[in-house]
Amino acid sequence: MSKLNETDIQGFVLRGYNFPLARYMFLHLADDDRAGQFLDRLLPSITTGEHWDDGKPDSTVNIAFTHKGLRRLRLPAASLLSFPVEFLEGMQARSAVLGDTGRNAPERWESIWREERVNAWLGVNAMSEQALESCCADMLRIMEETGGASVVGWQDAAALKVDGQLTTKEHFGFTDGFGNPDYLGFERSTQPGQGKLMPDGSWAPLATGELLLGYADEGGELPVAPIPHLLANNGTFMVYRKLHQNVAAFRRYLEEKGRQYVGGKEKLAAKLVGRWRDGTPVELSPDSPDPAIVMDKKRNVNFTFGNDNAGTRCPIGAHVRRTNPRDAFGFEGRLTNRRRITRRGLPYGPYAPEGAEVRDDEERGVAFMVLNANLARQFEFVQQQWIEYGNDSHLGNEKDPLLGNRDEGGSFLIQGTEDPKNPPFLCGALPGFVELRGGDYFFIPGMTALKMMSTGTVDPR
Amino acid sequence: MPNESGSVYGLTILSPIIDDPHARISHDLQLRMHLGALPRGEDSPFAKVSSTHMARLTVMNDVVYVGMPACEEHLQSQYLVFESNFDGDLDTYLRRMATEIPDHVDSVWSHCIGYPGAGDVAAFESYMKKCQLTTTFYFADVNDKTVQQTLRALQTQAAVASFIERNQGKPAAELQNAFTKFLGKLRAAPDPRPGSGKDQSI
Ligand code: HEM
Repeated sequence: MSKLNETDIQGFVLRGYNFPLARYMFLHLADDDRAGQFLDRLLPSITTGEHWDDGKPDSTVNIAFTHKGLRRLRLPAASLLSFPVEFLEGMQARSAVLGDTGRNAPERWESIWREERVNAWLGVNAMSEQALESCCADMLRIMEETGGASVVGWQDAAALKVDGQLTTKEHFGFTDGFGNPDYLGFERSTQPGQGKLMPDGSWAPLATGELLLGYADEGGELPVAPIPHLLANNGTFMVYRKLHQNVAAFRRYLEEKGRQYVGGKEKLAAKLVGRWRDGTPVELSPDSPDPAIVMDKKRNVNFTFGNDNAGTRCPIGAHVRRTNPRDAFGFEGRLTNRRRITRRGLPYGPYAPEGAEVRDDEERGVAFMVLNANLARQFEFVQQQWIEYGNDSHLGNEKDPLLGNRDEGGSFLIQGTEDPKNPPFLCGALPGFVELRGGDYFFIPGMTALKMMSTGTVDPR
Repeated sequence: MPNESGSVYGLTILSPIIDDPHARISHDLQLRMHLGALPRGEDSPFAKVSSTHMARLTVMNDVVYVGMPACEEHLQSQYLVFESNFDGDLDTYLRRMATEIPDHVDSVWSHCIGYPGAGDVAAFESYMKKCQLTTTFYFADVNDKTVQQTLRALQTQAAVASFIERNQGKPAAELQNAFTKFLGKLRAAPDPRPGSGKDQSI
């Protein structure tokens, strides 16, 4: 395939910026021409996938729209109706499919999401507080001067500081940011284990069309996309979910069950996720963390489950095995290739050091984002079938131990062997560790599409 | 063998629906309304015919040709489609339908052409067999276990999981003691009711 035009793709799609700070602004757009004027003024500030030859900028700007937002931008009806139905409906309407019921039900979301007032997501990532504030001030100025958009809410997020050091940890204490797919045509050093598994055991990048609209996907087809082609080309769909973490409940649970489990608290934590807290894949090193593996890019995402069908190394229900089963379902991993998602996002709320007093009602969680070409086939499937259900892995209706939506207690089985050091263990009375506070589905257009949207020249004929 | 997969029988029946131009509400619509209101789970009529793994009743209006070039063609009539996967042989099953849920069966099939009624069991059996098609696909979850075995297994699985959770890590003697007690309770527990979805704790 030909090389991608990186300057037509928003930078947020092509790479995780790895900046320590972010502010996600949620915008309401004006219901007239001013919305387009706002977008037109914004365009030069948007960060594309261009090469950073002069070093990293100190801040980045990206934009995405809900379907309601696209309507406010006056896209022609023929284009508006050509979007996939799950995007048209929005995340709230999909709550039954996603298992967003009970404590995660839309009635309990924050008001901007409950009332579906968000038309656009404006993501600013920055190297420093100062860069963040100055970039956001620029954005606000454009909104005010054009009158095309107003901020109805925002989410600040930041890399967690542990012992004064910036980390890639999340609030439960795990190092995050290893597993993300590689795609064909992306100029990014590929790591074995990130793409798709080949019959000879090697790894190859996934088809570009699993992420970007306008390119062939793993089925050899162009992804379902809106018309005209130029509107869709180099765009993708984004899921935004504000996921609250009950850190106190998680720590209490680890303490309590860690005393009963022969492997102790840290091994228990590792078995829940499929990685030790330092990031060591449990499949590669089931008995202890191994910093040498974590540091080694050739090894830290390079593992398969095919030789561990019984789950005695990495449990069958562990978070990373559920969300990316690799070859666990046979067929050399091909069943997984159409269900891959690209993750973005950062934690919000201050890190609570181990041992410090911590409460579940404190603001703490992940501003979690998923990018994919097909919301229904990729994100929604992973969420519905692999996180909130267990049938594909013969786990009945057991849910993801970390993410399962539950309030009356679920269970998670750590498969074991006859070795007294690795016995099976049943984790019962699992509380809900993660709760959904709101979010929506967004479309991240390419640069050409943004220009057409801002000038009212989207032509579906 | 068609229609049989291990100990499970796959039944497919297509019964033509009465086309009566004088009916105030056509028979297919009456059927749809009736089927839509049938209870499910433990209250389903098929929970009483307790060898049923899965049963499905639908109305087939017509089949639409979707190829190119377009072409209009129709079935000779509308059909009631009945599919069931059950334990045992066909004769026994049909007899159970006719004798254990005759009112339900009559209120469904009375909308079909040539239906003799469940009262005459022999006539009912031969009518149903006349309407039978060969079955080669089965409900995916059906294995070679009977309904009772399946429900028992689910009950046992849930009970064992909860036993493990309560007792894991106990010293051997204590564990054995608890397990013996548990086994006794499990064996004495009544069979789960057909059509029950939730596991019934021991
Ligand atoms: C508060 C919420 C969550 C927490 C704390 C969390 C935590 C983690 C951790 C610690 C890892 C291992 C690090 C890595 O492989 O990069 C991971 C991996 C992953 N998570 Fe989550 N996660 C959360 C929500 C989700 C959700 C909602 C999804 C999907 C809808 C998801 C999908 C994944 C995937 C796909 C991977 C990579 C697996 C791989 O490629 O091996 N996570 N997560």
